[in-house]
Amino acid sequence: MSSTSQKHRDFVAEPMGEKPVMALAGIGEVLGRRLEEKGFDKAYVVLGQFLVLKKDEELFRDWLKDTCGANVKQQGDCFGCLKDWCDAFL
Amino acid sequence: MSRFVEAPAQLSISRLKSDLVAHNVALPPAKSKKVVYVELHLQHIDLKNAADFSSDEEDQVQDVADEEEYTEMPDPSGLTDDELKAALLEHGFKAGPIVETTRALYEKKLRKLLQSNGRGCLNGVEKGVLYSDDEEEEEEDKELGSEEEEEEEKTVKESDQAQQGSSQQLDMSIVDTMKNQSLYYTPKASPYKRKMKLPQEPVKDTIKNMFPNTDAMTPGIYATRRRPIKGAAGRPVQYAYPVTPVSPMTLEKREVERRLVPIQIQILVFLIVTCLLYFIYVCVEDNSFSSAVALLDSLYQQSDSQEGLLLQAETQDVPALSGQD
Repeated sequence: MSSTSQKHRDFVAEPMGEKPVMALAGIGEVLGRRLEEKGFDKAYVVLGQFLVLKKDEELFRDWLKDTCGANVKQQGDCFGCLKDWCDAFL
Repeated sequence: MSRFVEAPAQLSISRLKSDLVAHNVALPPAKSKKVVYVELHLQHIDLKNAADFSSDEEDQVQDVADEEEYTEMPDPSGLTDDELKAALLEHGFKAGPIVETTRALYEKKLRKLLQSNGRGCLNGVEKGVLYSDDEEEEEEDKELGSEEEEEEEKTVKESDQAQQGSSQQLDMSIVDTMKNQSLYYTPKASPYKRKMKLPQEPVKDTIKNMFPNTDAMTPGIYATRRRPIKGAAGRPVQYAYPVTPVSPMTLEKREVERRLVPIQIQILVFLIVTCLLYFIYVCVEDNSFSSAVALLDSLYQQSDSQEGLLLQAETQDVPALSGQD
């Protein structure tokens, strides 16, 4: 099992509800602000994008990079976080 | 009269490409300089035009028609959503809904696929051309071949670092000549990647079948940080390591161990209680209170007698002591 951060575990532990986008693993203040500017102000909006891309890892990573400039680690953390959340609740 | 026959140098690269294709001329690799296209254009097309000068207009019409029929559709942004989806499907990639936010991504994906497939096409065509009578084309191909080899040497070193993005194109050049296939199978640390690998493999197989000369393109190599070894390389044991997964049996054992000390106390208490109960049971069985009282008195008498003995001993001692003085 790869190591997951506390943020990841907190996010995957319960339905995301109205959590802000910064609650996602890999998305901190800077990236969160950039996403909010683009209109992705809540975690569920990013989830929407993730699902529209059919949970494809490569496309989602590219989208994250283009939208908020996330690096490889941040992309991976966010993708993993959303994927685990979907496995648990979707 | 020379309006229709423009100097090839004035045409754009895409126009030169489409012209070459229209006249069934082998295209050089995607990133060749314009000079290469211009030369080929001059060799084949201008000779043709000089011969059939009167049918210039027809040629123009044909060129335009050929451009539209050029099946690879080099400009993904000019496609409609449905066409984009169809083009992606042609290259073996099943795309999801193409909406505003996803369109850019799918266009990029199509461009990547076009480049990798374009190279695959060209490799096959190059080999066919090598056996043609034209000496100049052979020389050009050799030059291009040597360029690719130089790129290979660089990319062998660079791809060892296994980075995303730029390495994709470099990986493709390695993959083209199928020299070092082991690089394609770099281990992927992320488990998510492992899961995603499975649905992608059938896609890559179809591409392999379509273009037997090339391997499928790697989506990118992702490296995650390896968990540091405890106490290795002078690293102090300060890291908070995640709790290792514990089996239910060990959990039960730990719980039992926690209770062992209190268990002894519980047993002791239990014994005391049983003694008391037995004592009471005995009393009750006699069915007379007086006997219980007698029992109690006997106990007290015993203790009293013990005290009395002690007192006597003390009084005897005292006179003895006083006697000694």
